[in-house]
Amino acid sequence: MNLVWYLCLSAAIFSVGAAGVLIRRNPLVILLCLELMLNAGNLALITFARMHGNGDGQIFALVVMVVAACEVVVGLGVIVAMYRNRIAEDVDEMSELRG
Amino acid sequence: MSATTWGWLVLAFPLAGTILLPLGFKFWPGRLPGWIGSLTILLSFGASLGALFNIMGEHPEQRSHYDTLWTYASTAKFNAGLTILVDPLSVFMCLVVTGVSFLIHVYSISYMGGDRGYTRFFTYLNYFVFSMLLLVLGGNIVILIIGWAFVGAASYLLISFWYRRRTATAAGMKAFVINVIGDVGLVIAAFLLWNKTGALDWAGIFSGAKDAFSSNDGTLIAACLFLTMGAFAKSAQVPLHTWLPDAMEGPTPVSALIHAATMVTAGVYLVARTHPLYELAPTAADITAALATFTLLYAATCALAITDFKRIIAYSTISQIGYMMLGVATFGYQFGLFLLMAHAFFKALLFMGAGSVISAMGGEQNIDRMGGFRRAMPFTYITFTIGALALAGLPIFAGWLAKDGILGWTFHRGGWYIALGLVGYLTALLTAFYSFRMVFRVFFGEPVREAQLLEGGELVHGEHRNPLSGEEEDTDVGFPGPEHHIAEREATMKVAMSLLAVLSLAGGIVLIPGVTEWLQAFLEPTFSDSGFVGSHVPTGSEWLGLGVGAVAAAAGIAAAWFAYRARPGMTLELRDRFGRVHAFFFNRWYFDELFDVIFVRPTLAVARFFQRVIEPGVVQGVLVGGATGVVRLSTNFARSIQSGYLRAYAGLLVTGLFGLVLYFLIQSS
Amino acid sequence: MHLTIPLFIPLAAGIVGLLLPRGLARWASLAGTLAVLGYSVAMIVDFDSATRGLQWVTNETWIDTLGIHYKLGVDGLNLFLILATAFLWVIATLYAAVREWDRPRLFYFNLGLAETAVLGAFLAQDLALFVVFFDLMLVPFYFLIGAWGRGNRVYATTKFVIYTLSGSLLMLAGAVALGVLSTPEGGQISFQLSDLTVHPVGHGTQVWIFLLFAAAFLIKAPAFPLHGWVPETYRATPIPVLILLSGILSKVGMYAFLRIVIPIMPGASATLQELMLVIAVVSILYGSVLAFSQDDARLVVAYSSIAQLGFILLGIFALDPKSAQGSVIQMLNHAVVVAGLFVIIGVIAARARESESLERLGGMALRAPVLAGLFLIVALATLAMPGSPNFVGEILILFGTFDEKFVYGLVASVGVVLAAVYMIRLYQRTMHNRAGPDVASSDLSYRLDLPALAPVALVLIALGLYPQFVLHRTEASTTPKIVRAAIKAGSDPGPQHAEATTVKGATP
Repeated sequence: MNLVWYLCLSAAIFSVGAAGVLIRRNPLVILLCLELMLNAGNLALITFARMHGNGDGQIFALVVMVVAACEVVVGLGVIVAMYRNRIAEDVDEMSELRG
Repeated sequence: MSATTWGWLVLAFPLAGTILLPLGFKFWPGRLPGWIGSLTILLSFGASLGALFNIMGEHPEQRSHYDTLWTYASTAKFNAGLTILVDPLSVFMCLVVTGVSFLIHVYSISYMGGDRGYTRFFTYLNYFVFSMLLLVLGGNIVILIIGWAFVGAASYLLISFWYRRRTATAAGMKAFVINVIGDVGLVIAAFLLWNKTGALDWAGIFSGAKDAFSSNDGTLIAACLFLTMGAFAKSAQVPLHTWLPDAMEGPTPVSALIHAATMVTAGVYLVARTHPLYELAPTAADITAALATFTLLYAATCALAITDFKRIIAYSTISQIGYMMLGVATFGYQFGLFLLMAHAFFKALLFMGAGSVISAMGGEQNIDRMGGFRRAMPFTYITFTIGALALAGLPIFAGWLAKDGILGWTFHRGGWYIALGLVGYLTALLTAFYSFRMVFRVFFGEPVREAQLLEGGELVHGEHRNPLSGEEEDTDVGFPGPEHHIAEREATMKVAMSLLAVLSLAGGIVLIPGVTEWLQAFLEPTFSDSGFVGSHVPTGSEWLGLGVGAVAAAAGIAAAWFAYRARPGMTLELRDRFGRVHAFFFNRWYFDELFDVIFVRPTLAVARFFQRVIEPGVVQGVLVGGATGVVRLSTNFARSIQSGYLRAYAGLLVTGLFGLVLYFLIQSS
Repeated sequence: MHLTIPLFIPLAAGIVGLLLPRGLARWASLAGTLAVLGYSVAMIVDFDSATRGLQWVTNETWIDTLGIHYKLGVDGLNLFLILATAFLWVIATLYAAVREWDRPRLFYFNLGLAETAVLGAFLAQDLALFVVFFDLMLVPFYFLIGAWGRGNRVYATTKFVIYTLSGSLLMLAGAVALGVLSTPEGGQISFQLSDLTVHPVGHGTQVWIFLLFAAAFLIKAPAFPLHGWVPETYRATPIPVLILLSGILSKVGMYAFLRIVIPIMPGASATLQELMLVIAVVSILYGSVLAFSQDDARLVVAYSSIAQLGFILLGIFALDPKSAQGSVIQMLNHAVVVAGLFVIIGVIAARARESESLERLGGMALRAPVLAGLFLIVALATLAMPGSPNFVGEILILFGTFDEKFVYGLVASVGVVLAAVYMIRLYQRTMHNRAGPDVASSDLSYRLDLPALAPVALVLIALGLYPQFVLHRTEASTTPKIVRAAIKAGSDPGPQHAEATTVKGATP
């Protein structure tokens, strides 16, 4: 099978993830969409590793997974804290970072 | 010891006094600072005598000595050492300065006796003498300028000696600024001379000028006129004279020392010192002489009208310096310098007498309020009259021989100088008149209350009020009046005044035409390069000139006697009839007002314009506003992007990513 | 003599101070400044005044690919500026050390960092290194004014930083452009000043790079009309910092004109000479006139500095050996008198309920005769009375300007008269006349004030007696800096300097 299809799939998942981040308002869903984007990236990395015939991309993907795990931990922690304090289900209601 | 060693010693003593006196200002007992200050000047006078005897023992051709202590500033052809020049002219000046200064120091020991700033006074006085000696001994124009500015600073400090009086500080400011104008003139003159001759020392300038300039060269005329500007600022000649009458705010010994006997004659010294330049640029000399002649007449007319005792003497000083300036600018150097010396004696004496009378009046200076002090203050009366006779120029007095020597010289020069001489004789008449106006108004007539009390042995202490501004005096810091000292009761004042009276009488002995021409012979080596050195006024015509002068003086005195003694009240009638003329003279020809309109107010207006328009508008508005405005606009834009909404950031991120991808896609295709 | 040592002593002392207990930080800092002063005095003793080129050069490659060197060196031009820096830091630290400051460790650390930055700017012989130190100067001053200032300090610091930083950025652009454009075809890029001098860029390029540099230096100086940051900053800055800001920081730009701009861009310097002279003369007149219409004593000194720096600028751009010499000695003199003036203003304010308004001061000479005496010496030196060191600077500047551009010199002479007006006014309004409503006089304190003030007066007297001490050491290095520009400007620097041009190319 042509490796390009893997890339297409990766792009499709990435787009779904990105669209989710942009459209959905629930912080939990946004976090999930972010995970989708990261995994799309992983898929692309592994595909490229296959295309070039060396293991660099795979190692990179492993690193990304570690980072993703950390991110989920922190992200979920933040979301739980948010629910506890304000019970906001809508990211549009939060704008503390406004300049 | 060599002559220059004596010269350095002349400088060293007053400098030592200047440093020593303030160090102990907290613990000097009583009048010790006065005695220390006087002693240093006496030692300096002794050193001047040493220099005199030293150079008298040398061949007349070799009486000029330069000596450099160290290189002061030297770079790129600009070469100035810390150099003194000891020659007959500078020794003559040293003797006059230290001699008169010593007597005035002695006078001050008592006169300033009760003042809070006693040590400060003698520090300044010693500093002044040091500066003046530096000026006359300076071997190059840079050292001269330094001494020149130092005497200006000393003069400033002493004018505003009673610094809590606004009138005194304002007068000090005026004197200082006008003196700085003179300094700038000297610096420009120094540049013009240096530029063409490449030298800063006197000998180099004079020899270089002979090669570099043709006669009446434009640059040289400009240089000489800038020198004149410096000289006029220091010597209070029109139009730079307005500071001197105000300078009378200083204590009376200061008026005697600085603003009559020594500092203000520095301009005369300068012209005499740079005579080779003026002789090469006769046009500049003529302009100087004409302005000096105008000044001498102008100041005499002012002295006729004003009523402030010290200011009358101040105007007479301006007038007398006009004579000296006329003398040296018409190249009659020995006469100009002779008057410089004689004037130092009798003018110091007049100021001392005036100080004594003002003390007796409790600080009052208006002669309208004085009268009849003849019996109450016999000593002051006699010595003051001797001074007035010398000022008027009555025969045998020093002033007569000197002033009429100058006028005789102008007639000898011939041409249009005769007109200057005629103005001089006219002014001599006025001089005699106003001299005796003072004598008759102050010492004759009905004794005023103060004089009556003094006859009874009681010295008046006036109100603590500034006579000029009506301001309450600040009794903390001193002013002319917490304690008064009159010559009748103070031995040191008596000694100083008696000696000066003797000198005013007999000082003329150094140059009696056809009899003793010692001064001329002594100064001749300095002026040996002058084109006029061999040109002597025939003794006969010189005596004729002296005779005319004597007649003018006698006529002036007689007129004063007539106006103030024989027909008192006549002057009041005259004043009423010629009210405008009187007002014109009384207001000093409105020079102060004129300068106020021409210089002071426009400068202040410009300052206001800068402050109110340029500073907020251009500097703060356009430039700072521009720079900060750009920053503020861009930060505002950047800030507005930071909405705080998570999805907005994500959207921007994605847009940016797509933008980049697109860019690379287009690039690669 | 190793120049890295004095360069980093102050910073090291500051760091040591951070680690010491609060009360000891000041003494660490003072020891550091004294060590630098001692070092700079040793440098003057050891200095070979006949040598034209740099002495005790340190030259290490710093960033190889960009051609940036860590190159330090001393010649007659910066010798006395380093001394002035060391001296003023001692004065400022002495003044600060006997007073109490919040967060003292941080305060003295910032002072030390500032001294290192300034010394670096004076010592740097590589354009990039100079830019680094020049911009580094801003950092400690930002904190010193912002954190320890008074009044409207935040506004003032922001304005100061933004305004001077915009100048610095322009200079950075100019410096990069200069390095890149002067690299010969196929050669290695270098920012060393000696290399830049040998490879001049084209005339048109010179002109705009010149303008970029001039903007930065004139803002820092400050010169009319780029002095907009001055009033607020001077009002907000604490006295010891103000001594440094006005005494030393203002000289860096002037120094850089002589060190960098004129030797590297002689053509542009000649072309734009008239512009710079006009700025100088206008600064003199404008600064003087404003100085005598201010009520705030600090601002009198601030505007007088604008006028004095106008004189220095005039001397530099007259492109004459005498006036350049005059400018060099005048930088030293002005640094010293400004230190004295600001210490005095601090002393006065301490005796007048912190008032610095001339309307509310006056008559202090009675209770403070020693203060009045020292103030008199400093004031007379500031107005360049003959006999003071400032007179030597000013007469050389005027002689040089008369020589090259007579009219500018004549106009500048008016500034000499105006200087007398504003200094005497300042002196009278504080020391003389009636005691003002705020005055509660006592004489200066021998513990708090005299340590900072006495050295200033002594240095002024010593320099006034023997200015040749400075001139002798600076002459050999100053003249070659301006010779090429002077020739381009059409003035004749004299035969003895013509050969300096050829030698200049060969010096390291």
